[in-house]
Amino acid sequence: MIKICKVTKTYPNGTTALRDVNIHIKKGEFVFFVGASGAGKSTLAKLLLREELPTKGEILVNGVDIVKLKRRQLPFYRRGIGVVFQDFRLLPEKTVYENVAFAMRVVEEPRREILRQVPAVLHLVGLSHKSRMKPSQLSGGEQQRVALARAIVNNPPLLLADEPTGNLDPDTAWEIVRLLVEINRRGTTVIMGTHAREIVDTMKKRVVALEGGRVVRDDQRGAYGCEEAKAPFVLPEVGEPSGL
Amino acid sequence: MRISTWEFYIREALLSLRRNGLMSLASVSTVALTFLILGLFVLLVFNLDHVAGTLESQVEVAAYLDPDLEDGAHLEIAKLIKEIPGVKESVFVSQGEALDRLRVQFGDRQDLLDSVEDMNPLRHSFEVKAKRPEDVKVIAAEIARLEGVADVKYRQELVERLFNLTRSIRIAGLAVVVLLILATIFLISNTIRLTVFARRKEIGIMKLVGATDWFIRWPFILEGIMLGFLGTLVSIQILNRFYYWFADSVYSSLPFVPVVSPADTLRQLTLFLFGLGLLVGAFGSLVSLRRFLRV
Ligand SMILES: Nc1ncnc2c1ncn2[C@@H]1O[C@H](COP(=O)(O)OP(=O)(O)OP(=O)(O)O)[C@@H](O)[C@H]1O
Ligand SMILES: [Mg+2]
Repeated sequence: MIKICKVTKTYPNGTTALRDVNIHIKKGEFVFFVGASGAGKSTLAKLLLREELPTKGEILVNGVDIVKLKRRQLPFYRRGIGVVFQDFRLLPEKTVYENVAFAMRVVEEPRREILRQVPAVLHLVGLSHKSRMKPSQLSGGEQQRVALARAIVNNPPLLLADEPTGNLDPDTAWEIVRLLVEINRRGTTVIMGTHAREIVDTMKKRVVALEGGRVVRDDQRGAYGCEEAKAPFVLPEVGEPSGL
Repeated sequence: MRISTWEFYIREALLSLRRNGLMSLASVSTVALTFLILGLFVLLVFNLDHVAGTLESQVEVAAYLDPDLEDGAHLEIAKLIKEIPGVKESVFVSQGEALDRLRVQFGDRQDLLDSVEDMNPLRHSFEVKAKRPEDVKVIAAEIARLEGVADVKYRQELVERLFNLTRSIRIAGLAVVVLLILATIFLISNTIRLTVFARRKEIGIMKLVGATDWFIRWPFILEGIMLGFLGTLVSIQILNRFYYWFADSVYSSLPFVPVVSPADTLRQLTLFLFGLGLLVGAFGSLVSLRRFLRV
C-alpha cells in the first residue's frame, strides 16, 4: 500500500530530518514509528500527508507517486487518510458532533450519510452521550477520541496517528490504542508515531525505529528498544467507557 | 453542488461576520459611504444630462426676416429652409402671432403692449428645428445666407456649456468613485484577511481532511459578498429617501427645472449598486484569499 523509497528530507533551513529511508507497508498493517525526539517521525507523517515534499526519493501510495500529485488532486488524496495529532486539533467553537460532522461536510457527503455515520463513530469511541459538548468541556482522552472519530468518520483506508497518546496519562493512552487496534481490526492500515515504550512493547506489532533520520530497525513483532520484551500480548482492561 | 453544502457555507460566513463584529461594521460603513457618494454622483450626472437634454431638444434657430420684405416672399424662404439638410421642421411666425405670444406671456399687464399695438415692432420669423442638435450651427449659417433673412439667433452656447459641465463632473466623479471603490475593496480584503487569520486553524484542519480550495474559499467569498450587500442596502436606503425628498422639493419650489423622475432612476441605480456591491465584496475577499490562502 505504501512504499517509501530512498527518501531524504532536508528542510529549507538545512536540517536533514530523514536520510535514505526505505519502508514498505502492506494494507491492513499496524505499524509503530518509534525514535527519540527529533528522529524524524513527524517528518515522515508530514511526507505521507504531503504537507512536505521529499528532497529525494519516491513515496508511492496505492501505486501513485504522491510527490507528483497536482495541487488540484491533493484534497482527494488526503481524503484517503485519517489523521490524529498529539494536540487533538479540534475546533473549540464547535460541538463534538459538529467537529466530527465537519470532516464529512468538507468532503460534501450527503446529509443522510452524515446523520447516519457521525452517531455511529461517536458510539464507537464511546462519546455518544457528550456529542453536544464543546471540546473545552472534555478531558484530554475524550478530546483525543473525538479527534479519532473525526479521522475515521470518512472510512479512510489509512490512519496516521502522530503521538496520539503524547498528552495523555497511561490509562487514557491505552483507551486510544485499543480504539486504534479496533479500527485496524476493521481493515484500516494504522501508522502510529510514538514515544510510549510500554505500549509498543506490549502490542508486539511491527516497529520501525528511527534514529537521526535513518531507519535503524524494522521488526515485524518488535519492541521499542533492542532487547526482547517479555510481556505477553494483553490489552490492559480500561474501565468501560470505550464501549468496545 | 449540494444544498447542504451551501447551507454550510452561509452558516460559516454568518458566524464569521458576527465574530468579526467591529471590523465587519467598518467594512459595511465604508461600502455604504462609498456607494452613497457614487449614487449621489450618478443622480447629479443623470439630472444635469436631463436638463441639458431638455434644453437641447428646445434648441431652435430663430430666423428674423427683413422688415420691408414683400408680402408672400416668406413662402419662398420657407421652401429654401426646408431644403437645407438636417432641418426637421420650420414654422412661420408672423408679426401678429409673435405679438399674440407676447400677450400670453405678459398675462395681466396687457396695458404695456397696448401702446405698441399700432406699430408692431416685431418681425416675421421662422422657428427652425434641427434633426440633430449638433447640426444647429451649420443650419443657422445656411439660413443666414438666404435672401430676405435679416438675422439668425440660436441658444446653442448655454447647452454647450452645460454639456461641458456634465462631462467634467462625470470625469471628476468617476475618479473619486474609482478611488473610493479601491479603498472599499482594500478594506473588505483586510476584513477577510483578519477572518482568514482568525480561522487559520480551522482552514488547516479542513485541508487535512481533504477540503478542496474552493470549498475553503466559498465561505469567505460569501462573507465578502454579505459585507458588500449590507453596505449597499444602507446606501440605497439613504439615497432613496434623499432623492424622493429632493425631487419633491424641486417640483414644488422650482417647477420649471426638469428633474429626473425618482421611481425609474432609483430602480436602475439600485440594481446597479447592488450588482457593484456584490462584485466589490466578492473581489475584496478574493484578493485576500489569493494572497493568504496558500498553504
Ligand atoms: N519545519 C521544519 N523546518 C526545519 N526543521 C524541521 C522542521 N520540522 C522538523 N524539523 C527538524 O527535523 C528533525 C526531525 O523532526 P521531527 O519533527 O520529524 O521529529 P520527531 O521524531 O517527530 O520528534 P518528536 O518526537 O519530538 O515529535 C528535527 O531535527 C527538527 O528540528
Ligand atoms: Mg513529532
